[in-house]
Amino acid sequence: MIYIVAAFHAEAKPLIEHFGLKKLYEPSKFQIFSGNDILLIESKEGIEKSSIATTFALTKFGAGSKDIALNIGICGAVENAFSKGDVILCNKIINHHSKKAFYPDILIQHSMKEATLESFMHPVKKDSLPVEIEGDIVDMEGAGFFEAASIFLPLHNVHCIKIVYDFLDFEKINPVEIESMIKQSIPHIENLINSLLKLNLEFYNNTPEIDNIPLLVNKLKNSLHLTAYMTNELESLLKDYIIRHKKLPDSIFEFFEVQINSKKEGKNYFDKLRKILLS
Amino acid sequence: MTSSEKSFLAKHFSHVYVEKAVLSHPVTIKILENLRSSQIVKIDNYKEVFCRAGQNYSLQEKSKKLILAKKWGEFLYPAPSICHNFGYDNFFYTSNILNCIYSCEYCFLKGMYSSANVVIFVNIEDYFKEIDAVLGNMPLYLSVSYETDLLALEKIVPFSSAWIEYAASKQNLTIEIRTKSTNFKALENLKPQDNVILAWTLSPQEIIEKFEHGTPSLSSRLSAIKKATENGWKVRLCFDPILYIEDWKMVYEKFLNQVFGEMNPDKIVDISVGVFRIPKDYLKRMKKAFANEITSFPYEESQNICTYSKELKEEMINTILLILGNFVPSSKIFVI
Ligand code: SF4
Repeated sequence: MIYIVAAFHAEAKPLIEHFGLKKLYEPSKFQIFSGNDILLIESKEGIEKSSIATTFALTKFGAGSKDIALNIGICGAVENAFSKGDVILCNKIINHHSKKAFYPDILIQHSMKEATLESFMHPVKKDSLPVEIEGDIVDMEGAGFFEAASIFLPLHNVHCIKIVYDFLDFEKINPVEIESMIKQSIPHIENLINSLLKLNLEFYNNTPEIDNIPLLVNKLKNSLHLTAYMTNELESLLKDYIIRHKKLPDSIFEFFEVQINSKKEGKNYFDKLRKILLS
Repeated sequence: MTSSEKSFLAKHFSHVYVEKAVLSHPVTIKILENLRSSQIVKIDNYKEVFCRAGQNYSLQEKSKKLILAKKWGEFLYPAPSICHNFGYDNFFYTSNILNCIYSCEYCFLKGMYSSANVVIFVNIEDYFKEIDAVLGNMPLYLSVSYETDLLALEKIVPFSSAWIEYAASKQNLTIEIRTKSTNFKALENLKPQDNVILAWTLSPQEIIEKFEHGTPSLSSRLSAIKKATENGWKVRLCFDPILYIEDWKMVYEKFLNQVFGEMNPDKIVDISVGVFRIPKDYLKRMKKAFANEITSFPYEESQNICTYSKELKEEMINTILLILGNFVPSSKIFVI
């Protein structure tokens, strides 16, 4: 699943349309859209709201280690080194107030520029820019999103993508303009998503036998009346055996049908099984 | 790695994280000159990046990043008992660089760190100062390529040369630079030093292909060794770790015959032999990050070290020693 967190509807709308997402009518404090293995949540403005929405989405929908979380939205550029509409993948994200810094793992190639993002709790304008600012770009969500998402997902699957909207001299935000800028950035975003999917698919351990271990262990735990300690040991022995032999031992299925009448009998069977798994 | 993998993965060192304190250090400047297309990210402390929670070691290995930092505190550490001391007292190791550009499946570094990224402590002058002070009190035998392969990174940072030049002026210091690299060219212009041992780890080609990812082939390692000995360097051969694989006897016999078929044993200073062994806690962590034939072997544990059963270990060592006996006197062989 790909989780997208956007602050405003103007930022979300082009993504909803492009990915063909449909509004979820489950009771929730948030506007959520989903479809095609993508879930988009609108967080509203601010570090805290972004963090709360991210946590809500990732826990409510049971995010796993191969899932991806992206924060997509507009930002202001501190330096004129950027142009309006530049799509930026953040390689460092700072919470201006807690001074905490976060580093996504950028393991794949992408077509965006890179920069350091600094997140504030209030809108930042050029004339009120703090002297100690380190970010090249500023926003009001990135740090909240990243801190929350990186608790649930590995760092290579959590990214902030920011599109330069202004140079901190803005007066009023124009939703139509935002929509069009996000729309233009979609090819870069899709490219990143595809590479991340490929990375997770190709390089994570994809042995089906290993995925089945919890099921097997549970069956054996019941049939052999194993203690918690024996169950743990069995799990690790089974995993090792499969990695070494690329398959389960043929004789393991006999152990599913065993009828145990005493603790001792269970232990004897377990020892027999252990011997097989150590071979 | 196939070309399709290469096409979507960021290349190694696509990002360099630099501690603000070392931004203007000459070594940093030199390294960054060689990595002009990399993204530079400023950091306060290398641990912010290196020790982050949520890193996936095995995926990071596909695109390692570089971290430049300043080393503080201790510079020298007593070597652990699972290492050979080759008869030297005061056996210490030091770590200018953490982690390696190669990726051997049995490498203890995978159990030691939560990150596959490479850290270079650029302030090598502080290491030298510390060693100067220690040498005033005692002689030192120092492994300088302990948590990395220093020579393999010589193009990025010429620390092997720096150590050799430093050692040249020190009477009571012996250094060992252990490597699988074939980059002897980087040292060719240096004068061989009596107190510098270049130690090459050698493995059968079958083992290299299966477990020592990214490392040079056996034949190219042998050519580099030959050049080093011809140029007058002291060379040690390390048959360590010897790994158990199904047909290990045949594979290692063929391998040792090849090595000494190509190499004059008289040119070798000494030889170390040891089977795979690893601290229990490291193995536990390696298992979490990597599921492979090495980590899943049913080792026996004693005193917090995991290794092959006593019988298997004895059989493996004895077999190797028997073959080595055909080529080298036992006085030159160190076994652990
Ligand atoms: S060459 Fe040495 S340090 Fe590098 S990965 Fe292999 S065992 Fe580890």
